[in-house]
Amino acid sequence: MTTDAAPIPVPYDPALEPGLAAFLELVERIPLRADTILANRAHFATVIPPIEAQLGELPLEFEHRRVPGPAGAPDLEVTIIRPRERAEAAPGVLSIHGGGLVLGTRFFGTPELIELALRYGTVGVAVEYRLAPEHPGPAAVEDCYAALEWFAAHAAELGVDPERIIVSGASAGGGLSAGVSLLARGRGGPRLAGQLLNCPMLDDRNETVSSRQYDGIGAWDRNNNDTAWTAVLGDRRFGDDVSPAVAPARAAELGGLPPAYLEVGAAEVFRDETVAYASRIWAAGGQAELHVWAGAYHGFSGFSPEAIVSRAANEARDSWLRRTLGVLPSEPSA
Amino acid sequence: MTAYPPVPFADELLPALEAMNAAPQPPLTEESLPHTRDGADRMFPAAAELVAGRAVETEERVIPGPAGSPELEITIFRPAGHDAASAPVPALVNYHGGGMIVGHRSWEHGRVVDLVESLGVVGVNVEYRLAPEHPYPAGVEDNYAAFVWTAEHAAELGVDPERIVVMGGSAGGGFAAAVALMARDRKGPALAGQLLICPMLDNTNSTVGSYQYDGIGTWQRELNLLAWRMVLGAELASSTDAPAYAAPSRAEDLAGLAPAFIEVGAAEMFRDEDVDYASRIWATGGQAELHVWGGAFHGFDMYAPDTELTRAALASRDSWLRRVLGL
Repeated sequence: MTTDAAPIPVPYDPALEPGLAAFLELVERIPLRADTILANRAHFATVIPPIEAQLGELPLEFEHRRVPGPAGAPDLEVTIIRPRERAEAAPGVLSIHGGGLVLGTRFFGTPELIELALRYGTVGVAVEYRLAPEHPGPAAVEDCYAALEWFAAHAAELGVDPERIIVSGASAGGGLSAGVSLLARGRGGPRLAGQLLNCPMLDDRNETVSSRQYDGIGAWDRNNNDTAWTAVLGDRRFGDDVSPAVAPARAAELGGLPPAYLEVGAAEVFRDETVAYASRIWAAGGQAELHVWAGAYHGFSGFSPEAIVSRAANEARDSWLRRTLGVLPSEPSA
Repeated sequence: MTAYPPVPFADELLPALEAMNAAPQPPLTEESLPHTRDGADRMFPAAAELVAGRAVETEERVIPGPAGSPELEITIFRPAGHDAASAPVPALVNYHGGGMIVGHRSWEHGRVVDLVESLGVVGVNVEYRLAPEHPYPAGVEDNYAAFVWTAEHAAELGVDPERIVVMGGSAGGGFAAAVALMARDRKGPALAGQLLICPMLDNTNSTVGSYQYDGIGTWQRELNLLAWRMVLGAELASSTDAPAYAAPSRAEDLAGLAPAFIEVGAAEMFRDEDVDYASRIWATGGQAELHVWGGAFHGFDMYAPDTELTRAALASRDSWLRRVLGL
C-alpha cells in the first residue's frame, strides 16, 4: 500500500453538500469497520421504510415470493412490484440493493422499482441476497443470478417480455449487477437487455486515484470500502484468483455483455474503477454509456434529489432506460 | 495487427448515417481542400437570417487579432434588448469545428443562438485561421485573442466577466481546451468553464478508439491524421513532443483549470482521448463532468438532431451550463 499523502480530492458541488451531510448523519453514523458491521447493519435497517409505506396509495401492488436459491443454497425471498393494472409483455427489472455487500435489505432498492413501474409499467423483482462476512463471495452474486434465472423462466407468468429484462443496482448493487451480467454471459444464461450500474462497486483492490482521494472524507470512503471487500473476500482479497463475478473489475475481458449504463460521481471512491470498466467494454466493441457527474458524492442523486446535478443525472438515466427498454416516444406515423 | 471491433452505432442514429453515406462528399485531401472550403461561409444561414423572428439580436464585428496578426471576424448574439445598461449576463465564446482545417463560424451559429435564447446569455462566435495555410499556433492564438477581447469588453457587451465560458465541438472543443490552458498559464482573464463537445485533443492517434473508427463513422482516422499533419507539420503530427496548446492531451499538468464539461460519443475516435483528459483533470483534484453517449458517432447532435440521444445530450449540457453560470 502506498504511504503517500492522499491526493487532492475533486471538490463537492456546493448544492450537494447539505445532502451529503444528511447522508453521513443518517446512513454512515458509525464508521464501517470489521467490528461495526453488525451495528451498522442494525442501524441501516432502521433507515429503510417498509414496503407498505414506500407504496402508500400508489396504483401498484407488491407480492413476496420464495424462489429457489443457487444449487445447495437456501431459497431466496423476492418481492415483486408491478402496476395493479396488468399488461402483457412489460419490461422487467431485477433490482439489487446497495449496502457494501454487508448491509441492507431488498427494500433499500425498491424505490427505483416503484418509480419505474409508475413511469414505464415495468414489473420489478427485488432480491434478498446473503450478506458478508457471514456469507462471503460469491454467495451474494450467486443468489442474484438465481433470482435472474427464476425471473426469466417466469417471465410469461409475470407478464414480462423476456427480451426486455434489465438488471439494475446502485453501489454494491451495481457491482452485483455487473457480476450477474458476467455470469449470464459465461453460463449462456438469460439474455439481459441491459445492465444499469449506478456508482458500482467493482474492484476489491481499492488502488485507483479516486480510492485514495476520498480517504476519510465523503460518503462511502476508502476505509468503508476496504472493510467491505475484506468482509467479502477475506484472505482471497488482492489475490490472483478473485472471481470476476464478485469483483467485476477482475474480468479478463468485457466483450459480449449486455448494454451497460454506468454513472458515478466525480467526487467519490468508485469514479476511476467505473470509468475503467466502461473503457474496457468499449475496447471490446461493447455498448456502454458513461456519465460522471461533476462534484458529486456517492449516491448523490438519491440523497440530494433537488440539486440541479441530481435532476440531470436522473434525466440522463431515464433517457437510457427509454432507449434500452424500447419505450421511446411514439414513432412518427408512416 | 490487432483488430479493433468498433462499438456499434445506436439504432436510432442509423438513418442519419445512412443519409450521409447516400450522399457522399468528395474525400477530403490536401488537394481537395480548397474545393471543400469554397462557399463554406454560405452553406448555412447567415446570422441575421437565423435570428429572424426570435428574441435574439446579432451583430458582426471585427476585433484585433493576436499581436502582429490580422484582425478577426466575430458574430455576437445577445438576447433582444440586452445592452451595456442591462444587468450583466454570462457569455459563451464558441469555436467552430472542422478539424482545424475546414469550417466557418456560421456552421455553428445555430448552436450558439439556441443557447443564447434558452439561457439568456451573450454568444460570441469566432472566425479563426485554418491550417495548413495557417498552421499552429495561428488558430489557437486567434481563439485566445477572441476570449481575451470578450473579457476586456465585458462592460460594453453587458457581460459578467466572472461568468465567461469557452466552448466548441470537435476541433472547436480542442481549441476551447487549449484556451483554458493558456488562460491558466498566462494568468489571463477569469474563465468560468470550458464546454468541450467531442473535443479533438490528442494528436498521436494511438488510442483504441482511434483505431476502431478507421474507415467508418463521421470523422474517421484518416481525416484526423490529415488534420494533425496540416496543423503541426509532418514531423510533429503524431509526436508526443507536440505543443500542448495545439493538442491539449500533451499538457503535462491539468491542475488549476476552469471546470470542464466533456461530452463524446461511445462510437467515435475521440472517445478514449476525451475520457483520458477528464480522468487526468480529476486526478489533480480538478472539476470535470464527463458524458459518453451510448452508440453515438462523432457530431451526432448535429447530424441527428431529432433523436432521444441528442435531446438527452443537450439537456446535460444545459444542466451543466446552468450550474457553472449560476442560472
